[in-house]
Amino acid sequence: MPETQATTGAVSDDALARRIAGGPAGSTDAEEAELYRRFAPRVRLYGRRHLQDDAAADDLAQDVLMLTIERLRAGEVRRPEEIGSFILGTSRMMAHSGRRVARRREALAARFMDTTVAIAPSSIAALDAPRVAACLRALAERDRLVVLLTFYADREAPRIATDLGVSPGAVRVIRHRAIARLRDCVLGEGTASSGSERQGARP
Amino acid sequence: MTAPGCERVALADLTDYAAGELPEAEVAALEEHLFSCADCGARAAEFDTLVRAIRPAVRNAEVGGFVTDAVLNRLAREGVRVRSYALSPGAVVPCAVWEHDELMALRLRGEFGGASEFTLSQRIAGTEVSRATGQVAAGLHGEIIFTLPAAWVRQLPVVEVEVFLTAHEAGEERPIGSYTLVHQGSLHR
Repeated sequence: MPETQATTGAVSDDALARRIAGGPAGSTDAEEAELYRRFAPRVRLYGRRHLQDDAAADDLAQDVLMLTIERLRAGEVRRPEEIGSFILGTSRMMAHSGRRVARRREALAARFMDTTVAIAPSSIAALDAPRVAACLRALAERDRLVVLLTFYADREAPRIATDLGVSPGAVRVIRHRAIARLRDCVLGEGTASSGSERQGARP
Repeated sequence: MTAPGCERVALADLTDYAAGELPEAEVAALEEHLFSCADCGARAAEFDTLVRAIRPAVRNAEVGGFVTDAVLNRLAREGVRVRSYALSPGAVVPCAVWEHDELMALRLRGEFGGASEFTLSQRIAGTEVSRATGQVAAGLHGEIIFTLPAAWVRQLPVVEVEVFLTAHEAGEERPIGSYTLVHQGSLHR
């Protein structure tokens, strides 16, 4: 691990923000990349919840973090110790003004072109895709269908309940357990299967 | 604020939040905490990674099993090539996947009654090669849909595959029907 990454990885969020705010121009690339690494997934999750579109959530994360870094550099974040609140507030503001975001993104990208902010790759790259597919296949049929209907077909619990002939409350319980099993399987902490509902050769 | 080892936001909370089903009154509080707590923020990042990996796995047709029209419609919108066969009980249907097909969908018809749990068994020469039990209700078209990755179908030889569908109702099993797929192998245009 490079020394700068080890250093920035150990500091708190507010110390990171203060370093960016107080550092000479061009000297805080590592801190900016670390801030992005920490907060972009949270902004993406916020965007997924409020924009219901993964691509729009990706754009939101990029916009919010670029604007945050710009404001920090300019000394316009009054309370760096509350950088999380600032980023959440910016996320809320930008998510509700999509049209302005598109125009602003171009302007910000132009300003950052000569500063080469190290943008962390999407966190999805960190997962082994074939393993995720294998773990999905290993889920019980009912569990997998609930996961697919929720996170692929974007169906809400009442509709899924109708599709499966169960109650909406049961859908939520199934989903919680299925996501926990999927997570454990992907992280190598167990198998996704909750029983012997599927046997034999693939599929 | 960063709480060491904080576990205030559980995986179940994140799941409900991402699914849009956390009560509105709890959404703002959860967001405030996620953006100020490093531990819960890291958990959110891990969850985000997991959920976002689901879509490509499904879109790449690497996942089969019982589905509904909602899933098939989404696949179609994303350009996934699905080869569908609608089958009534007793049907003997020549079937094949073409070289560009990514998924095969069996639309199985029958008298389902009020059943919402089914077992699908595939047999070759009388030997069961796969068995899946799932909870799903017949859709608007009165069909139970089961999908198979085309890559798996493609590697089958020219062979007859018998598909048996059984309903589970009130603790009892009821045969819905058998459907025979006469696999023609992989076809090229």
